[in-house]
Amino acid sequence: MERFNLLKKDHLIGFLRKLAKEYRIIAPVKNRHGDTLFTPVTDLDNDEIDLTNQPQNSIKSFLFPQTEVIATYQSSTPDDYTFTEPEPSFPPTIFFGVRPCDLSAILYMDVIFLKGKKDPFFLDKRRNSLLIGLNCTAPFANCFCNATNSGPFLEFGFDLQFTDLGDRFMVETGRSSGERLIEDRPQFFTPSTEKDSQARYQSFLEARGGFHRPVHLDQTLKKLAKGEVDESVWSFLSERCQDCGGCAYVCPTCTCFTISDQPLSPTNGERLRSWDACTFSGFTRMAGGHNPVHRATGAIRQRFLHKLLYDVKQHGRTSCVGCGRCVGICFGGTDIVRFINMSCQGELYGT
Amino acid sequence: MPDILTTCVYCGCGCGLYLHEENGRITGSTPSREHPISRGNLCVKGWHLHEFIHSAERLTQPLIRKNGVLTPSSWDEALDLTATELLRIKENTGDQGLGVMASAKCTNEENYLLQKFTRAVLKTNNIDHCARL
Amino acid sequence: MTNSINEIENAEVILVTGSNTTEAHPQVARRMFDAVDRGAKLIVIDPRRTPLAAMAHLHLPLHPGTDIPLLNGMMRIILDENLIDDLFIEMRTENYHALRDLLFRLDLDEVVRITGVPLDTISQAARLYARTQKAVICYCLGITQHICGTENVQTLANLAMMTGHVEKEDTGVDPLRGQNNVQGACDMGSLPNVFPSYQPVSNEDYREKFEKAWQTSLSGTPGLTLLDMTHGGADGAIRGLFIMGENPMLSDPVLSKVKETLTGLDFLVVVDLFMTDTAKLAHVVLPAASFAEKTGTFTNSERRVQMVRRAIPPIPGCKTDLEIIMNLSRRMGYPMEYDSPAEVMEEIALLTPIYGGMHHDRLENSWGLQWPCWDRQHPGTPFLHKYFFTRGRGHFVPASHQSPSEPMDATYPFQLMTGRIYHQYHTGTMSRKGTLLNRENGEALLQIHPDDAGRDNIRHGEMIILASRRGEIRVKAEVSDQVAPGTLYTTFHFSEAPINLLTTGARDPKANCPEYKICAARVEKIRQGP
Repeated sequence: MERFNLLKKDHLIGFLRKLAKEYRIIAPVKNRHGDTLFTPVTDLDNDEIDLTNQPQNSIKSFLFPQTEVIATYQSSTPDDYTFTEPEPSFPPTIFFGVRPCDLSAILYMDVIFLKGKKDPFFLDKRRNSLLIGLNCTAPFANCFCNATNSGPFLEFGFDLQFTDLGDRFMVETGRSSGERLIEDRPQFFTPSTEKDSQARYQSFLEARGGFHRPVHLDQTLKKLAKGEVDESVWSFLSERCQDCGGCAYVCPTCTCFTISDQPLSPTNGERLRSWDACTFSGFTRMAGGHNPVHRATGAIRQRFLHKLLYDVKQHGRTSCVGCGRCVGICFGGTDIVRFINMSCQGELYGT
Repeated sequence: MPDILTTCVYCGCGCGLYLHEENGRITGSTPSREHPISRGNLCVKGWHLHEFIHSAERLTQPLIRKNGVLTPSSWDEALDLTATELLRIKENTGDQGLGVMASAKCTNEENYLLQKFTRAVLKTNNIDHCARL
Repeated sequence: MTNSINEIENAEVILVTGSNTTEAHPQVARRMFDAVDRGAKLIVIDPRRTPLAAMAHLHLPLHPGTDIPLLNGMMRIILDENLIDDLFIEMRTENYHALRDLLFRLDLDEVVRITGVPLDTISQAARLYARTQKAVICYCLGITQHICGTENVQTLANLAMMTGHVEKEDTGVDPLRGQNNVQGACDMGSLPNVFPSYQPVSNEDYREKFEKAWQTSLSGTPGLTLLDMTHGGADGAIRGLFIMGENPMLSDPVLSKVKETLTGLDFLVVVDLFMTDTAKLAHVVLPAASFAEKTGTFTNSERRVQMVRRAIPPIPGCKTDLEIIMNLSRRMGYPMEYDSPAEVMEEIALLTPIYGGMHHDRLENSWGLQWPCWDRQHPGTPFLHKYFFTRGRGHFVPASHQSPSEPMDATYPFQLMTGRIYHQYHTGTMSRKGTLLNRENGEALLQIHPDDAGRDNIRHGEMIILASRRGEIRVKAEVSDQVAPGTLYTTFHFSEAPINLLTTGARDPKANCPEYKICAARVEKIRQGP
């Protein structure tokens, strides 16, 4: 049996304090209003690091922020302008407490932004980031990462990965960069024993059996591949889509963006990259006004096909990681789980 | 700086949302999950609430009409002129000549103070806002 | 709203009338969808096939301005089929006989003729609504922006009371308030006839209370309403106007009259974030701080008072409205000095009974409190009228049909309705600065039925002329069967197509709410010059 390290929970803050001397720590923090968000930890003694609740944002919002300046421009005359790329400014950062779904999402974003021509803005941030994962021992109400093969435990993709064993964490090493985090601070760690490995495995079994929602993704994938999803499913869900874009914005793998120029004065301004969503009609509308996607029948088609069909064809896996964030927040009740289950049941429910 | 919880200005639902601040700029909006109205999601306006805050079209200087043209002025000059003119009209017209339009977009505290100003300083009840529009 | 927004998802029947809920109150619509998914039935009364109407179990596409006969028709059927709540009527209401007399005289064939809704559909709606235990009515400006807006609301109240659908959780009559703090602005007394908490200025006791608190004498004469101020004309009574964060040059009806009034003023001050159409006419423009730059509270549609928190300091050069008012007041010989918005709230709590327990420290550590909240210990009030109506017994006020103020004729054969769209907010001052919102919906569109468009050879996306008896504008046509033949619909968000040049100045004499929902209009192709 492979040997891992153990970190007593009592010493977690001490360990993070040492890391914080060299890195910015971003972790799920429960704020005074009761919301848990991935937030830069500024006060280890008072910020409440929350490893119990699912953070409502994913770390996408740091690696691919909602709005990002990708250039500034200066012009003296209307025809003469110069663009300047901003200086990279992402400090060395440790993301702590990243669950398997969100970690899988980063691996997906790596493919989108770094395969072939590399996106310099994502690359700068990714290069300066270390990921400390946290295996899920108790799936949340809307989770279905078991169906998307991105949890509840993960085998790779992290620098370090923690598993909660009650009074201690078992710590796995995924990369040499993670190894160094331990080697440089050996005082915090003790080697694990066979008993710990058994406990970890037991916790994995319990997590795997702890999902609350049956999500029949395999059947839906087969139906999608054969083009057998009933047209009425698409139109029922599209009619109910309220066009908020929330599903794309909370999704840890949605990477669509738009670029706009924001004037700051008559002679200078910024070029911004901001989140966009394929459910918006402006996303596909052409300059002349024609829109190949008819909202009433196809608003959500592109989104689900992209996640569950095109990415399977192109990358061999869905780009839904089963985090469940978009489930239960949809204004029209048309989330991906409803789609999956409707399309393989072949019958409509609701109205 | 952590995200700041505030209340959306785009309709009467009153979603709780966080503004994301970076180097003095608001760069994003995200819903509160625990908030009883927003419950983890916003409408498209809420998600894009931050976009107007730093618009280059924001007014950043008081303006006074001089020779028919709105011309930049100092705060003191604009406030002095406003106070003088309001007092002058009040002198000439009693409680009938001045009117105030408050706003359904401003805070309670601002509305309270403006109606107090209207009633206690301008001495009129000519105050309304677009509640009916 | 008498209920809380979250109560809607527990209702068994939801009757929506005069509200384009998915676009104007998305979070309320979200609860409606949730309710439907749990088995609730949705009835939508709207002249347009709005997105919500399209998915409703019953859509009653009435002719614009015929709400009263339609609702009376429903009540007549409820009466005929004995679906009324006798006990409730007896124990909690008064003047029911007047309503019953009116309903007995009602001719249902006449109702069908006036409203254009088949009797069978009216009956289904009546039974569905009356037979359920938990029924909510949500209404919005489609009910109030008529010359008979007050009667429309009273008729809805009649319907709810005769079936006992009030005074309970998940059940009631809920006006959806449109703007973020329209509820609060009313609560704070930004109205011509009342002090904060709706205490009439004409009442000597209330006046004395405020005179004592503010240490000055106060006028007991109710002031002018908004339209009295903006429609006074060039030599109207108002000579000086102070406008804080409003844009009547786009939002008020009959803009030509508004312009005449504003340009005729001796002095106009506008406090705003942007150079609005109104600010362009001002003598002094003062740059204000946005919501992100100040602390305070907003009161939402369900009476929830919530914190607005300063995220950044004011943009250089701008001041908060509080600072501006204090600065002016000081200069005018009545110093009002507050160290913080919290201190202003302390004074509000002192003088405004329904806000008696609202303090920033309490609001800071909660998701807000719903008024009435009488004191520091009071937990707030999620729904109103529990156990008894605020005024005592619920009073039935029967009403009959009133024709819209402006008849159609051969020259102006269409009924033009105005309202809001999802991606924009009010006069667009803020929302139109948002890049994505503008990409999604950045120009005014006039909805016209395919039959009407076809007759005049109007194509989808074509710029056309839209005219009423008061003026004309150019607007892009959206050929759509959301509107019925003979009706048109557009929005007031866009200054390039200022629809309020066309709307009528007629208003509800009781509530002073303009009849935005109907005026007579015509459309016309733009003729190419030679």
